[in-house]
Amino acid sequence: MIEIEHLTKRYGETIVVDDVSLRVEEGTIAVVVGTSGAGKSTLLRMINRLVEPSSGRVLIDGRDTLSIPEDELRHRIGYVIQAYGLFPHRTVSQNIATVPRLLGWDRKKIAARVDELLDLFQLDPGEFAEKFPHELSGGQQQRVGVARALAAKPAVLLMDEPFGALDPVIRSKAQDDLLAIQRRLGATIVLVTHDMNEAFHLGDRIAVMDQARLLQYAAPAELLTHPAEPFVEQLTGTAERPFRLLSLTRVKEALEPGNAEGEALVLSTTLHDALARLIALGKDALPVIDASGKAVGRITVERILAHGRLPA
Amino acid sequence: MNTISSRPTALGMSSLRPHLSLDRLGSVIAVLIGVALFASPFVVYRANRIVAGEGRMLTAALPPAGALGIILTGIGVALCAALLRNPLPRLAAAILGLATVVPIVGWSATFVTPPGNTFARVSPGLGFWLLALAFALLAADALTRLRLGPWVRLAAIAVAAGAIALLLLSGAWNDLSLLKEYANRADSFWQEARQHVWLAFGSMAASCLVGLPLGILAYRVRRLRAAILQILNIVQTVPSIALFGILIAPLGYLATHVPLAAALGIRGIGAAPAFIALFLYSLLPVVANTITGLNQVPAAVTDAARGMGLSPRQRLWQVELPLALPVILAGIRIALVQNIGLATVAALIGGGGFGTFVFQGIGQTAIDLVLLGTLPTVALSFATAIVFDAIIDLTRRGPT
Repeated sequence: MIEIEHLTKRYGETIVVDDVSLRVEEGTIAVVVGTSGAGKSTLLRMINRLVEPSSGRVLIDGRDTLSIPEDELRHRIGYVIQAYGLFPHRTVSQNIATVPRLLGWDRKKIAARVDELLDLFQLDPGEFAEKFPHELSGGQQQRVGVARALAAKPAVLLMDEPFGALDPVIRSKAQDDLLAIQRRLGATIVLVTHDMNEAFHLGDRIAVMDQARLLQYAAPAELLTHPAEPFVEQLTGTAERPFRLLSLTRVKEALEPGNAEGEALVLSTTLHDALARLIALGKDALPVIDASGKAVGRITVERILAHGRLPA
Repeated sequence: MNTISSRPTALGMSSLRPHLSLDRLGSVIAVLIGVALFASPFVVYRANRIVAGEGRMLTAALPPAGALGIILTGIGVALCAALLRNPLPRLAAAILGLATVVPIVGWSATFVTPPGNTFARVSPGLGFWLLALAFALLAADALTRLRLGPWVRLAAIAVAAGAIALLLLSGAWNDLSLLKEYANRADSFWQEARQHVWLAFGSMAASCLVGLPLGILAYRVRRLRAAILQILNIVQTVPSIALFGILIAPLGYLATHVPLAAALGIRGIGAAPAFIALFLYSLLPVVANTITGLNQVPAAVTDAARGMGLSPRQRLWQVELPLALPVILAGIRIALVQNIGLATVAALIGGGGFGTFVFQGIGQTAIDLVLLGTLPTVALSFATAIVFDAIIDLTRRGPT
């Protein structure tokens, strides 16, 4: 768990981060969004003390980060940046082994961990372990960057626009992979992005920042239904909001009893995708099945539209 | 079909073959060879080592078989240079040319020297030098086009050094004036060679010991950077002979007032001021390239290194210096080659080195003695440059 308390950063007269407090629960993903220059990266970099706060403090699992020597603190926090920052003179496996080596793990344990991570990120150890970063594609470099950050099993992972340099197709695959890995490892992640879709896709909670201030820190749906300020509404895309809301809700939550004709939808489908099917098929209702294929009810256009309605 | 026949044809045969194209550099080389063979003296004969010499054309410099051999080889290489595109046969032709002409000039010396005459001197003439230049140009051009890897280049320089050693040890050149000058000074030659190497490489080592930390400091402390570079730039603008002179006064003072300094061999003149001057000159390239090298380490890499908890020292040794190494080595290479040349001037203030022969030779108007100092200096610089370039390539390879 990460607790940020009244964190402020000033450079002379300029305030870059202004009295920000927020709390990231164990095993969840908090996404920080905002326009460039809003102070997102500075906030992130104060967590591992790459930037020293002017005032306020950060607690990780209840311990003040200032009480831990900074190098030691960073050994325990994974850090991923947009440009990856892979060491160009070291192989993929040497890159991944960076922090375990600093921590003095023995050779066998490091080798085993490197192979485990390469497998986890779908990079065949035989093929990739001895390659140099410049021999990898952008997507592969990104995966190695995240693998390197996870090498010493940190409880916390900080990611600064980790998908920013990827093309759209690879990006959404990388986001799904990250979600899967996060669910599996249970890591606590703070991720900075300016991509709203990414924020809604990944975030358990989203922090919206503007001009050094934290405007709202809430679950994605709440951000849409109860934006704290006009800027939040604007940032989430005024016209897009109902559709975003539908993407956050699953068929399960809008299920009604009864039957319908046509191709069945699965319970875990988002309302956004369900509506798209209904429109495409020209239907008002479709049957719904659970994961085992058993019919459990139906979904209607009317119910879906009701879920996308925003409070006045 | 005959559209290209109006082109200038060095050898008067290209009009026969419509697809033939002349290599530009090759044509120049061919012309050089032509001038060398038919319009320049192959060797210069002098009755003794300081009188003016008289040139001997090829036909008078060698028995008919030798002269014919050189003429045929020369024409053959000229044809290859002008007509062939493929670098490999061009290289082979150049090497064949050198391997023929270089030993034969020694034979020519034996042939031209009257039997039993120990005063007469025979040295290579313009013709020989032009031929050697033409072949060397051809070889260098071919080697560049072949884009050899660093290991092959290191092997090539080793083979070349071995070939030169073999030539000198075989005695084929013993009747040439250069080797006669050497024979008279064999002991002092090697002593001065050691001194030259010590001056150039020793001062370089000293400036690495000082320059690397200074460069790292200037990189870390931005405010110091401009000041350090400015001072070193000013040092660099002082002419070498003036710097040697400037150092005489303080070092002389030191020697007379500090017994330890005198005991260490520090005097106003001699090796000490030369060593210090070379050290000062080589400092700028080392410091400047250390800063440049460290600066060009990508910001993302240093940020990631910090973020993963590498301490400043770990970052320096594990990330920044390895990535800056090729640029730092390039600085050391520049300084070293510069030092090898400049060390010649040290002889003027009694510092020794190959310059001793150069200045003695100038004093005695004995051009062969000047060459005895110059040729090893050039060879040393050349070999150092090639070896360093190869090492730089090796450190730059794989990881880029």
